[in-house]
Amino acid sequence: MKAAAQNELETDVQVRPDGHARVVFRGRLDAQTVTECWSQLEQSLLDAKLQTLQVDAGGVSFCDGSGLALLCHLNMGRMTPEATVSVVGLEAGLEKLFRGFTAEDYEAFRPKPLMKSVSFPEMLGGAVRHWTKNLHEEMDFVGAIMAGLPAGLFHPKRSRWAETLRVFELAGPNAVPIVSLMSLLLGFIIAFESARRLAEFGAQLYVANTIMVVMVRDMGPLMTAILLAGRTGSAFAAEIGTMKINEELDALQTFGLDPVPYLVIPRIVAGVFLTPLLTFYSILMGVVGGAIVMLGLGFAFPLILHQLASSIQLHDLGAGASKAVVFGVIVSAVGCWQGLRTQQGPSAVGLSTTRAVVTSLLLIIVADACFSAISYVLKS
Amino acid sequence: MNAPPDIPISVKDLTVSYGENVILQNVNFQVRRGEVFVVLGVSGSGKSTLLKAMIGLYPPQSGEVWIEGANLVTAEGEERLGLLRKFGVMYQSGALFGSMTVFENVRLPLDEFTDLSEPLKELATLARLKLVGLGAAGDKMPSELSGGMQKRAAIARAMALDPGILFLDEPSSGLDPITSSGIDLLIVELAHHFGMTFVVVTHELPSIYSIADRVVMLGSSAKGVIAEGKPAELRDNAADPWVRRFFNREPELGYFIQPT
Repeated sequence: MKAAAQNELETDVQVRPDGHARVVFRGRLDAQTVTECWSQLEQSLLDAKLQTLQVDAGGVSFCDGSGLALLCHLNMGRMTPEATVSVVGLEAGLEKLFRGFTAEDYEAFRPKPLMKSVSFPEMLGGAVRHWTKNLHEEMDFVGAIMAGLPAGLFHPKRSRWAETLRVFELAGPNAVPIVSLMSLLLGFIIAFESARRLAEFGAQLYVANTIMVVMVRDMGPLMTAILLAGRTGSAFAAEIGTMKINEELDALQTFGLDPVPYLVIPRIVAGVFLTPLLTFYSILMGVVGGAIVMLGLGFAFPLILHQLASSIQLHDLGAGASKAVVFGVIVSAVGCWQGLRTQQGPSAVGLSTTRAVVTSLLLIIVADACFSAISYVLKS
Repeated sequence: MNAPPDIPISVKDLTVSYGENVILQNVNFQVRRGEVFVVLGVSGSGKSTLLKAMIGLYPPQSGEVWIEGANLVTAEGEERLGLLRKFGVMYQSGALFGSMTVFENVRLPLDEFTDLSEPLKELATLARLKLVGLGAAGDKMPSELSGGMQKRAAIARAMALDPGILFLDEPSSGLDPITSSGIDLLIVELAHHFGMTFVVVTHELPSIYSIADRVVMLGSSAKGVIAEGKPAELRDNAADPWVRRFFNREPELGYFIQPT
C-alpha cells in the first residue's frame, strides 16, 4: 500500500500477507507531518498481526522531537505489539538521539497516576492529626501574641509604634471613604425598611430608635469588621505571606527577631485601636443616613435628635465598643496568622488571603452570636 | 528581506530606553547558525534589556531584530506568532509554572500548539526530559526541584517545539560549579551536535570560556557593544583595557577599597 505524499512527508507502508511490513519515510518528520500520517499508520499497522516491522528513515531530511517520538513509538512496538521492530537509515546525529531514549526509559519515566485509595480510618486519622496539629500551632500563635503584647506595647525598645502608626494609617484613614458610603447606605436601608412597617402601627417616629439600636449594638461593629476583614485582614495575610516567600521572615529570625512581636503585634495593636474608631464613625454615618430619610418623611430635626438620644444607653455603647475591639483582634490576628502559614508556590499568597478573609468572617459571626447570647443572659 | 541562511539572528541599530533613560544605543551584531553566542557585561550594562528586546518582550525605541529573515519588531498577528515559535526562551528564574508538574510544564507547548496524538506528546516530552537529565523528575513540582534542575527543566520546556534558536538568560548563575558545568555541557551538546543556535546572557566567566563561540560585550557608559569576538582573543588582545581586565578578573583599585 502506498500513501500519497502529505505536505513534505511521503509515507510508504508495505504490508505483506506473510506478516512482514516495511514503513518508509521520506521528507520532513515534524509535528505537522507526524500528526497527518498518524492515523494512516494506525489503520495500516494496528490490526495487521505482523511478525516483523522495518522502519526505513533513510529518506528523512528533517526530524524534530515529534518525529523522533513517532520513531520511538514504532520502535517500542506500540502499533505492532507482537512484531519485532527495527528502525534503520537514521542519520548519525539523529541515531544518537533516537538510541538515547529506550522503551525502558519510557516505562521508568512515565508520570504515575496520582490516584491512591485511602481507607476511611486512615482518612479519619489523617484529618484528626491535621486538625490537632493546626490547633497546636494556633495555640502557639495565641500564646506568642499574649507573651509579646506587653513588651510590644510598653517596652521602649521593643515596641514598634512607628510601624503601628504606618499600619493604622493604611488600614484606617484610607478606609474612611468606603466606610462612609457603606454606613450611610445602611442607614438609608434600615430607615426605609422599618419606616414602612412602623407606619402600619402609626409609629414611624420610632424609626430613629430602630436605627440607633441596630447600628450601635450590631450593624455598626459587624459591617465595619466585615469590611476590615476584606480590606485589612487580607492585606496583612498577603504582605506577611509575600515576606515569607521572599525569605524576609527567615532573615528576621536569623537576626534573632521573632516575627510575632516584630510584625504581628504592631498590626494587632493597630487593629484594636482602629476598629472601635471606625465602628463609631460607621455608627455616626448610619445614623446620619437614617436621619436624612426621616427628614424626608417630614419629621422635625429636633424631634429626630431627641428620639435618637433617648433610644440609647451607656451599656449599649459599651456592647458595641467591646464587639469592635474583639472583631479588631480577630481580623488582625487571623490575617497575620494566615500570612505566617503561607506555603511556597505561586498560588500560596492567594490561598492565604482567601483563608484570612473566610476565617475572619466566620469567627466574627461566631463572636457576634456569643455576644448576643451573653447580652441576653445578662439582661434576663 | 531574506536573511542569509547562516545568519538566523541579526540586530540592527537597536536603541532601547526606559522612558528618558537610554539603555542601549545603536547596537549592531549578527549571530551565526549553530553557534553559542554570549552577551556579557557588568551588572546594569543592559544585557537583560537587550534580551527582552530581542525576544519581543520590550519594544525598542528604534532599530530592527531580524529572526530567520523577518523583523520581529514590526511583525504583527500571525507573522509574529510564527516568529515566536522559531525560538525558545529560558528565563533566569526558570519561570516554570508552579501549579504544574515538570512533565506538564514541558508538555504544555505541545498541547497548545500541536495536534500530536497523546502517546506521541508523552513520548516527546519524556525524551526531552531525558535529554536534559530530568527523566525521573517528571512527577515532581517545580518547588521540589533544585535551582539547577529548574533551569534544566526550563531548557526542556523552551525546546518543546523544536525551535532552532534558544535564548538563555543567566543559565548558570547561582548554581554550584558542578551543576553549572552540567548546564554548560548541555548547551554545547545541543549546539554542536544538533545545530541549535544559542544566545546566552551571562557574566559567569568560567561558563563563557566553556561554551562561547563568540561573545559580544556591552558597556554601561558606551550604552552598546564595546567588544566582539572569541573570549580568549578578547582576554589577551582586546583594544579596550577595561575589556581585558573584565576577562582577567582584575578589580579596579579603589572601586570599593581605597588602595594603600
